[in-house]
Order: sequence, then C-alpha cells, then structure tokens
Amino acid sequence: MSNETFKSSKGIFKELLDEIGKVIVGQHEAIEQMMIAILCNSHALVESNPGLAKTLTISTISKALDLKFNRIQCTPDLMPSDITGTYIIEDVGGKKQYRFEPGPIFANIVLADEINRASPKTQSAMLESMQEKQVTVGNKTYPLDKPFFVLATQNPIEMEGTYPLPEAQLDRFLLKILMDYPTLEDESEIVNRYTKNIIPSVKQVVSKSEVLELQKLTRDVPIAEDIKTRAIKIVFATRAKSEHIEYGASPRASIGIILAAKARALMRGRNYVSAEDIDAMAYPVLRHRVILTFESERKGMTTDQVTSDILKTVK
Amino acid sequence: MNDFLDKLSKIRSGFFGRMRFLFLLDLISIFSIFYAIFIIFQVEYFLNKSSFYLPIPVKFVPPVLAFIIAIIIALLLHRKDTKINVNLLIENKYSELKEKLRTAYDNRDETNVIVDSLKDAVSDVLTTVSSSHLLSTGKIVLKILITIIFISGVTTVSLDPDKYTIPVDTITDITSTITGTTGGGTNETMQVVGRPENVDKVGTKGGGDIFGKPKIASIEGKNIDLTLYSGMGTGFEVRDASQTLYQFIRSAAFPVDVLGSNVSDGGYSILMKKTEAEKKLIEDYAVERSKI
Repeated sequence: MSNETFKSSKGIFKELLDEIGKVIVGQHEAIEQMMIAILCNSHALVESNPGLAKTLTISTISKALDLKFNRIQCTPDLMPSDITGTYIIEDVGGKKQYRFEPGPIFANIVLADEINRASPKTQSAMLESMQEKQVTVGNKTYPLDKPFFVLATQNPIEMEGTYPLPEAQLDRFLLKILMDYPTLEDESEIVNRYTKNIIPSVKQVVSKSEVLELQKLTRDVPIAEDIKTRAIKIVFATRAKSEHIEYGASPRASIGIILAAKARALMRGRNYVSAEDIDAMAYPVLRHRVILTFESERKGMTTDQVTSDILKTVK
Repeated sequence: MNDFLDKLSKIRSGFFGRMRFLFLLDLISIFSIFYAIFIIFQVEYFLNKSSFYLPIPVKFVPPVLAFIIAIIIALLLHRKDTKINVNLLIENKYSELKEKLRTAYDNRDETNVIVDSLKDAVSDVLTTVSSSHLLSTGKIVLKILITIIFISGVTTVSLDPDKYTIPVDTITDITSTITGTTGGGTNETMQVVGRPENVDKVGTKGGGDIFGKPKIASIEGKNIDLTLYSGMGTGFEVRDASQTLYQFIRSAAFPVDVLGSNVSDGGYSILMKKTEAEKKLIEDYAVERSKI
C-alpha cells in the first residue's frame, strides 16, 4: 500500500491541486502550505484580510480529501464546552441518563475562525485538544478522529476586543500561512466563476485512509545530514543576539522546518529533501515563532525579512 | 538496495588512486627540483668541507635530503586529499545526483519505500559515473608534462654536473655577499664608530656595522669619510676624522667607489660618473686636504 501510494503520490497531489483549483483561484502557496500542515499531522494558522476565501479553501480541501469538516466561529462568549462538547440529559426508556454530545472539534478538519476573538479559556481548551488529539470531559477522555487538522484564522485588522494568542500557544501551530489579495487576473477569474448559475464544486480525490498513508510517507522522506544541519542552524540563528529579534524560535521550529520540508518534497514528487524545501518552509514555520524587537516593528520590519536575512547568512 | 554503496566505493577507490598518482607526480617533481639545486650548488662539496657528522656517505646526502624535502612538501600540498568529499565532487559533476547522493548515503542504513526508491535511482545514475571524470584531465596531463620536464632537467644536470654546477668561488662570493662577511684582512674594513646624522633614513641592507652608504673619498691613497657626524659642529676639520676609526667593510652590497692612485686611470673615469654636486664636494676636500 505504501509503495503504491508513494508511486502515485505525485499524481495524487497534482490531481488534488487541480481539483481545488476548480473552486479556489490562485492562492497556490497557501493551498500547498495547508496541505503540508495536513501531511505533517499538525495545525496551521492563517492570517488574512476578510473575504479571501479562507473558509472556502479549507472546506474545499476537506471535500477533496474526503474528510469531515466543521467550522467554529470564535466569539468572546464562546465556552470551552461549545467546542469540546458536553453531557446532556436524555430520556431513555423512562430513565434519565447522561449522554455525551460531541462538539464541533470532533471532525477531521476544523476551521477555528477568528480564534483571537475567543476567550483565553476557550482558546486554551481548543489548543489542548489540538496538542493531545483528544478531549476530556468530566472524567472521560474521547480521542479525536484521525487525521485531525485545525486551521485557525486571525484577522490582522480589527484587533479591538480580541485576545491575541500567547507565544506558547502560537508555537503549537506548525505554520503561519499568509493569504494575500488576488492578482487582477485572478480576481477577474473569481468574478467570472462566481457570478454564474453553476457554482464550481470538487470531487473526492483521495480517501481518509490514503491521507493517513500519506502522513506516514511524509515522515519517511529522507534528508541529508548537511541539509538537516542547515535547518537547525537557521533556527539557532534566530536565537543569536540580534538587533531585530527579541525572542527566537524553539526546537519545535527545527522539527517543524524539517517535517514541513519533507511534506513539501513529497508533494513535489521528490524522494529526498532539498535545501530549497528547507528555505521555503523556514518562512511559514518561523513567521509566528520569532518575536521582533520593538524598534524593528516600529521600522515596519517583518519576520519574513528577518528570516530572509538569516537564510542568506546561514551556510 | 545498497548496491549504490558498492558502486560508490569503486568510484572512491578510483578517485583516491588518481589522487595518489598526483601525489607521486608532485613528489617526483619536487625531488627533481631540489636534487638539481643541490647538484648545481655543489652541496656535496660543501658537506665534504664541513665538519658535520653525517650518518651516511656524503654522496648520498643530496638525494636523501631532496627526497625528504620532497616528501614533506608533497605531504603538505596533499594534506587535504583525504578530507575530500567525493560525494560532493560527484554531485557537482553530475547534476542529476545533486542532493540525492548525499541523502542516499546519509540514510544508507534506513529502509522504507521512499529511501529505497532513492537508493535505486542513485544506483542507476552511479553506473554512468566514472572516477576519471572527477579530476580534471587537463590538470593531470599538465602535471605529467611538468614531471617529465623536471625529470629530464635533473637527468641532464646529474649526467654532466660539471657543465651546470656553479663554481665554488662564485658560491663563496655569493655567500659572503649575502652574509656580509669577506674573510679577508682587517685592513680592508672601516669600522663606523660614530652615528651618522639622519640615521633613521639610511638603509640597513646588508647588515653589519654599517648604517648606510658612507660618502668616501680616496685622495692620494687615503680614505676620507665625508659624512658629517653629529656633535662635530661647524668647526670640524678634515684632520679630525680619524682614518682608523672609520673603517668601511668592502662588500658587493656596498661597493666602495674608490677614487685614487690605485685605480688604473687615476680614478678619472669614476670621477666622471659622479654628479656635479659630488664632484664639487670631492674637489673641495681635495683642496682642503692639500692645505694640510
């Protein structure tokens, strides 16, 4: 099965991207990075302005992957039990008994929309579920279905009344994906597609079991020692004393870069990790893990610029 | 699955075999150069003259010494050979193996579908890799040619050493020039006991006790130092300058422009080569000298 999946993986990913492309115009990098996060059995944080098809993208991916999709709109009054689920009393044959009603977190792909609007207590409950891949209610633990992927979104504008995620919780997201406005041509295509009677749809490309198989294959992709060392050096460089960096990335970032690079290599039909994969994945992995100094932020520097400088210096 | 390692091993041994050949060529070239130098400079003759204790017959010393020097230099030149990363060399030469070969090699002990497919792919490409392509053919040919030239040179020199050796006298002269010693009588030297003015601006080439090129005039067979020494003041007279105190070391580095009766034309030709200022100076002193 693994052998067949691997041999067909290049074709699978091409077909998958083509299928998603029927609904989503452009945003190739964001789609690829979401797929990478799924292949790494991890989670991703998306930051974009409103109306850039975040929900549509992830729901399209879930349809193409034959995975159960749930969306949670985070608000300040959202309670942890609203996410995890709760016990309800029901009448069974004249007897009253408690029954666990699973919350929206019990899905394969969960979109936590505007996670920074949820209260820290709710954020914490969600992030714990993401980490443990299980939910504990009362004294009972309920494992979450596999694969389990959370795509949390943050709106970079309208920061009033929000609870920004603490650094320790941000670290749990493998990637921070940026979605930008479409180009003129892409926007023209979006308008053409969505102003007609026929709304584009996708068909299932792979099954849930194949997704799990691809997740296993991702970790099997070999990496050369010097390329691995380069990834670690990049993360190390973020911890070096610098005028731009206040706090560097944790060892989770090293794991994240290598794992994401493996997934990228697999998606591109390669049976080895290239230095190019490491460089490409360093940006989304470090984006939310490197904290810039106040002075750098004041000057309008971004973590991507700092990462770019680091990539140039690390041999 | 790991047959790429066998292929890689063959390529490595082929490459290092060629590197050893290059080492040998360098060794021969360096040996030839030094042996030829030793013959030309008659090292054997000087060793015979010296009182050093030598554990081997003197005639064997030059080749043995040349060989030892050649080994040291060749080893220094090739000290990084063993550290050459052949995998990287192959990857640089065969772009289709770029990053693949080192990945397969680093994961040679791993076994899974992806690693195995990589090893197979690498193995296929390694079939086309030849160790001869890893080293520049031009470099090897050039080294062979250089070695042949040096061997021919040393053979020519050693077959007819008399034709190429530098005479012992010349070597002695060169040695004395370099070391600044003559081995002659003390009457040929002039010791400088005073410190000339502007001593910091005076060259010190040649070493010894001489601070710079003294201005010497030889008048009627007597050497007169024309340098004005500090502390002597304007009241200094020529008669105050002692001949015995200011001796000059005659050497190739500081040739003495002797102008006097001991020169065949009475120093006329040398005088004519002097600048007008120098001529005037000498003339003035000659006039002063005649008054004494």
